[in-house]
Amino acid sequence: MEQQDPGTTFDDGMDSFVEKFQSQPYRGGFHESQWEEEFEKIPLFMKNSPSEIDPLENPDLACLQSIIFDEERSPEDQARTYKDEGNDYFKEKDYKKAVISYTEGLKKKCTDPDLNAILYTNRAAAQYYLGNFRSSLNDVMAARKLRPCHLKAIIRGASCHLELKNYVEAVNWCDEGLQIDATEKKLLDLRAKADKLKRTEQRDIRKAKLKEKKKQDQNEALLQAIKARNIRLVAEAAGEDEDSASEGLSELVLYGLSSENPCGARLSVDDQGRLSWPVLFLYPEYAQSDLVSAFHEDSRFIDHLMVMFGETPSWDLEQKYCPDNLEVYFEDEDREALYCVSPSSTLLQVLQHPRYFVKALTPTFLVCVGSSGFCRNYLRGKKVHQVK
Amino acid sequence: MAETSPKAEAAKLLPFLALGERADLQAAAAQHVLALTGSGPGRTLLAGQAALLQALVELAVAPPPAPARDAARALVNLAADPGLHKPLLAAEPRLPVRLLGCALDPHWPWAEEAAAVLANLSREPVPCAALTEALAATEPGESGLERLVRALCTPGYNARAPLHYLGPVLSNLSQRPATRAFLLDRNRCVVQRLLTLTQYPDSSVRRGGVVGTLRNCCFEHRHHEWLLGPEVDILPFLLLPLAGPEDFSEEEMERLPIDLQYLPPDKQREPDADIRKMLIETIMLLTATAPGRKQVRDQGAYLILRELHSWEPEPDVRVTCEKLIQVLIGDEPERGLENLLEVQVPEEIERQLQQQDHQEREQCEREQQELELGPGPQAEKAASM
Repeated sequence: MEQQDPGTTFDDGMDSFVEKFQSQPYRGGFHESQWEEEFEKIPLFMKNSPSEIDPLENPDLACLQSIIFDEERSPEDQARTYKDEGNDYFKEKDYKKAVISYTEGLKKKCTDPDLNAILYTNRAAAQYYLGNFRSSLNDVMAARKLRPCHLKAIIRGASCHLELKNYVEAVNWCDEGLQIDATEKKLLDLRAKADKLKRTEQRDIRKAKLKEKKKQDQNEALLQAIKARNIRLVAEAAGEDEDSASEGLSELVLYGLSSENPCGARLSVDDQGRLSWPVLFLYPEYAQSDLVSAFHEDSRFIDHLMVMFGETPSWDLEQKYCPDNLEVYFEDEDREALYCVSPSSTLLQVLQHPRYFVKALTPTFLVCVGSSGFCRNYLRGKKVHQVK
Repeated sequence: MAETSPKAEAAKLLPFLALGERADLQAAAAQHVLALTGSGPGRTLLAGQAALLQALVELAVAPPPAPARDAARALVNLAADPGLHKPLLAAEPRLPVRLLGCALDPHWPWAEEAAAVLANLSREPVPCAALTEALAATEPGESGLERLVRALCTPGYNARAPLHYLGPVLSNLSQRPATRAFLLDRNRCVVQRLLTLTQYPDSSVRRGGVVGTLRNCCFEHRHHEWLLGPEVDILPFLLLPLAGPEDFSEEEMERLPIDLQYLPPDKQREPDADIRKMLIETIMLLTATAPGRKQVRDQGAYLILRELHSWEPEPDVRVTCEKLIQVLIGDEPERGLENLLEVQVPEEIERQLQQQDHQEREQCEREQQELELGPGPQAEKAASM
């Protein structure tokens, strides 16, 4: 618009202004094709404000912004503006931006403790909805330092403790809050919730403890059973000291019992106190194996072999692995000897053999067909003993 | 020399008890009075000395170097005798108010003694009413009763006094409907705070007071559903002191309330038989209505009581336990008897029941005596043979 000459009447200025357009087109108007977009850019007519204000795109808006956030205003005013901004973002559920606004407000370090307490509390709320419960808690604690009786801060703090599973603290904060307002419903509900969760947690701890104790007792019983039978155990790794002190032995057992056999089978004891072992049968001729998951110590080898070789297995190319033909051996690694086991003996009898060492709580036996060429070759050059 | 009467002797003490006297003289006089309160005749003597009682009260609330503790202890002994309440209150009508102030003062070192006096006084209706009035006076923000509950429930409220005797005070106060109304206010969290105290290990006085309070509250059968529901959940806290280190099966365990599951092997039951009895009586009250009975049954009370019954050494507690078990496993009563607290008992039946009660008590006493005498007489017989 043209500057009006001082002294001229309004009408005069108006007339000459209007007359201008008879010769010149108005340049400041909207473009026909995009007038709606341009309309939206005028701050007064904006429906939604842009989240970032680019001074080049929106010079008017940037101008307004600089007026509001003018550094020359008092810290209290500036902080209040940031608080309002943060609250707006909060209402839109843009919690990240809300945190930033509140932080800017706090940075002003204004001297109004109420305002700062509110900034902290509101930021705590935004942090809460972002899932940052620790940060939220820190903020309410800062708020309470300024205003210890700020109820909203106390409610928020109790909620944070609840989320962080600090149930005792949650109840304590609720109690502090209820001292200020004994009928505050949110605190009553929070307290009841936290109390119930605390008691449930305590029950879970008791349950776990009892379970652990039971497991330990079971393991102890198994250890005792093994000891009573004079069965020798050996660690998995080669080179372990065989003359383990009883302490080392129990560790072996406990380790073996707690870490399951790769195939999931475990040493167990029945109601009569009899053990059942997971037993591995190896067939060196065809590099095959079988795992009997629960070989009762009083059952005989032949009983199992009858079942296992009821039908000849698929890998038995010569179809010679029949229960009657089979020979069972165990290896004494140290002395590089093999012991031939009578199939009619029980597992317990063999395990108790002075040269039998159970590795990894899984007794292992070698099986081949006695009369076969493979067997003869296999046994050649090794010391072979018979177990009665 | 003329014999001085005990009365005159006592009167001589009066000047030394006055405030502002020399501290050592005060202390000696207070000790003397305390000694007097230890005997019946001594107490009766003091009862007649209004001025002395007044002086005693002044000392009991006076700051150091006054012998406040001994003065308070003297008052405890005096207040233990209901016959002395009238002269005490006549000598100092503001006795309950002033002692209340001391009992609830977080910095007063003899708050426990003050509470003990109030516990003794509040057993009787007149002082109890006076105390209730004193409590009703609202301080800014917190009523006296609120403060009392807070003092009882907050550990370390008073760094120098444990305040166990506030338990019996509350129990006595809960005999009045106004107190119960406050305790059972659904818009507040009051009765819930008392629940954990049923397990308070360091004082049977406190536990007894809290359980007594809860029992009195359970006379309000309109509140039973709320008490047994999730907002208060009173039943587990009543059962927990009665539960021992039982090894229940997994299935049985899941039926119990959470607080009673998987109790450790060193779990002890409530050692005081009177408190055990009160706990059972409280649960019994909760079974007065049909919905209440159902809730108590559903929450697995029977299992706990069954184990308690086989363990319980005291005959009268065992009988009380039996009665409750009967209610839990018995059939539902006929129409008109759904709320056992409101049933009209015909006179004839009332008399029969009272007779039965009497017989039971005698039976219990006999059993008790047998327990105490043990094999003594027979051993003597054997020796003389």
